[in-house]
Amino acid sequence: MTVYVDGRQVQIDPNARNLLEALKEAGIEIPNLCYLSETSVYGACRMCLVEVDGQLVTSCTTKPKEGMHIKTNTPQIHQLRRGILELILASHNRDCTVCERNGSCKLQKYAEEFGIRRVRFDELAKPRFIDASSPIVRDTSRCILCGDCVRMCEEVQAVGAIDFACRGIETRVSPAFEENLSKTECVYCGQCVSVCPTGALYVRNDLEKLYEALSSGKFVIGMVAPAVRVALAEEFGVEKDPFIAERLVSFLKLTGFSKVFDVAFGADLVAFEEAHELLERLSNKEKLPLFTSCCPAWVKYVEQFYPTLTSNLSSVKSPQQALGSVVKKIYARKMNLDPEQICLVSFMPCTAKKFEAEREEHAGTVDIVLTTRELSQFIKASRIELKKLEPQSFDRPYGVSSKGGLDFGKSGGVLSSVITVLNDEVGIEDERTFELEKGIRQIEVKTVDGRTIRGLMVFGLANARKVVSDILEAKLNVDVVEVMACNFGCVGGGGQPYPNDAQVRQSRAKQLKELVAVKNLVSPTENYHMRKLYEEVSNLHELIHTTYRPRKRVVHEDVEVLPAPNGEKVMVKVCLGTSCYLKGSYGLLSQLIELAKRKDYSSVEIVGTFCLENCDHSPNVLVNDKLIGEANLEKVEAEVERQLQQQRVHDASQTNV
Amino acid sequence: MERTYEAVEQVLRRYNYRKENLVKILLEIQKLHRYLSKDVVHYVAVALQLPPAKVYGVATFYAQFSLKPKGEYTILVCDGTACHMEGSTSLIKAIEEEIGIKPGEVTKDLKFSVDCVGCLGACALAPAMVINGEVYGNLTADKVKEILRNLRGDNNAQKSN
Repeated sequence: MTVYVDGRQVQIDPNARNLLEALKEAGIEIPNLCYLSETSVYGACRMCLVEVDGQLVTSCTTKPKEGMHIKTNTPQIHQLRRGILELILASHNRDCTVCERNGSCKLQKYAEEFGIRRVRFDELAKPRFIDASSPIVRDTSRCILCGDCVRMCEEVQAVGAIDFACRGIETRVSPAFEENLSKTECVYCGQCVSVCPTGALYVRNDLEKLYEALSSGKFVIGMVAPAVRVALAEEFGVEKDPFIAERLVSFLKLTGFSKVFDVAFGADLVAFEEAHELLERLSNKEKLPLFTSCCPAWVKYVEQFYPTLTSNLSSVKSPQQALGSVVKKIYARKMNLDPEQICLVSFMPCTAKKFEAEREEHAGTVDIVLTTRELSQFIKASRIELKKLEPQSFDRPYGVSSKGGLDFGKSGGVLSSVITVLNDEVGIEDERTFELEKGIRQIEVKTVDGRTIRGLMVFGLANARKVVSDILEAKLNVDVVEVMACNFGCVGGGGQPYPNDAQVRQSRAKQLKELVAVKNLVSPTENYHMRKLYEEVSNLHELIHTTYRPRKRVVHEDVEVLPAPNGEKVMVKVCLGTSCYLKGSYGLLSQLIELAKRKDYSSVEIVGTFCLENCDHSPNVLVNDKLIGEANLEKVEAEVERQLQQQRVHDASQTNV
Repeated sequence: MERTYEAVEQVLRRYNYRKENLVKILLEIQKLHRYLSKDVVHYVAVALQLPPAKVYGVATFYAQFSLKPKGEYTILVCDGTACHMEGSTSLIKAIEEEIGIKPGEVTKDLKFSVDCVGCLGACALAPAMVINGEVYGNLTADKVKEILRNLRGDNNAQKSN
């Protein structure tokens, strides 16, 4: 399609989504603060104004047409864009030097490029509220209401933990009832952080803990995730450097790390273990399809949104936690170190890994989780030039990894490694991969013994939701599903450097593919040090497996339905969370109220509660401390009667005394 | 006070548990409870399978919705230009003296709530207020107190004494 841009004849893609994207392809980057290629078009910031055939339009909402005359940079447009920036800046917290996004902020960048040196309007500061309850920190004073985070959370991740609230000058982005993120269904994937143009959403910075550990005299051990190295190379302008990870090892040693391991080793271990888990589940025909559990955001998503499927999640820990357990339990013993004396620091592309390390069942394994951005800050502050350092290999024994392990850093890596192991174990004759839609690929393998194993590789939680509901409705028949919460997998994690858009993610995936390509070991089964672990450690299985259970989405106090006077009473809590509600818990609640009235229970109190975290046995009712799953009126009545009886006996014995 | 979700369920059922009807559903529930409580917002979110943040967003966007309890008598004091000039501030003061609440608040017994609003379109009667849809005009502080006493039933009580 031919259009005329600023007087030049330009060929653009006729199928482009809008003018903004078409022009970008043609080499003209139109400024914008609220456009994301992966979400619906919002058209709110007005920065992308262009002139089409004499009229001003927003290029994000305009379809390209043959022969259009487009002006992208007239003095009038320049003036308007400056005006928009000034208006935004008037209500934006401008203490840039102490902002987490100093240097990477899109608003700051535009303010500089458009030469804003003075804001003509009075400052209209937004009330400042900082929610630091989780790894994702919100600062309302820096929010420009572009809504990128809201659309990302709802449309791409199908979570919807935050949304616009209130109206006009009061408008803000917030969870329901201005709650802290830690009390919501947020899965900490950090995709909101990766699209926030300003410092309104950022990742909790834990570098202080690292400096403390390094000066504490502890035995500091580092471990580096696959996706970190490619982003680091990009951050330091050495994309083609094949030794970036090894230079990082040297750097970490210089700054006081005693050992540096490769999380790709942990990934080999996980792929090996998970392949056997899959074979076992296939032969027992249970807990299928197997869901991968390497991605902590996906794990939390399943726990909250598909609580009845938590047993489908692989019980193998993630590479971070598996390697962490091996270091703290086995390596420490081998080296005669007190685990308490070890400080284990993992470098991750991911924000949810901070949450994973803090999960109750994992606490005390990985001590500090730092994102690629924090690592980059650590390197820059040291003033050591990373690219000039001599490369040095990861430490033995957990520094060796196969193609499979390193491949974990991008979408599809986990499943293809599992399949490599399957090939070693049962033999694979034929393998076919095809794309069902963007973000969903299917893989089909035929084993030598004539079985067909079908798998899916999914990225983006909205895609995952689609896949799971198709599986539940029996529209899809698969044996194993790999899910990565972030688009393109860990290379696009919420802790990766800015910009973190589709283009950059694809280039990181390509870099990682090259690093994978030159690895000698093909399959995790060839990892000698991993095999040795199996030989030497008898309780390895126990060390690297865990369990998952339903998790409530929203923390909410109980709701009084039928109160009883103070004093001794039997407390009946009826769950009104989603799973129970869909199984008719409301009807049960009504029946119980009727029962209480009919029997004239004076010491029975009925309340409604939001989620008892036993969703695989909905509907649930809690009578005092006794949880009744698959509850019905008879079961609850019997339990209430039993407890009342106990109370009477207790009362009687008290009076006798 | 006994609270069940029976009425809420009826509204939801009438609208087939469809998310497109969220605004209508919230309006009807508010008519029943006089406001949208936190647990009702969560309940509706669960029933319609919407994120609570979305329901909260809708409930805070429209001025019709209130997340704070409203009284049995909702008093809207007009603070439009005409009423303001005619002394609406003194009405607000009188209300506070009589029932102890400021605009945006509700009495402990949930009998009265008071809000300040833009213009009620009764400028000829300035200063004016509306209580449960009924317009009271040409008000003075004393008249306001008198009206509130009547609504509270004080005068009746005195008569029967």
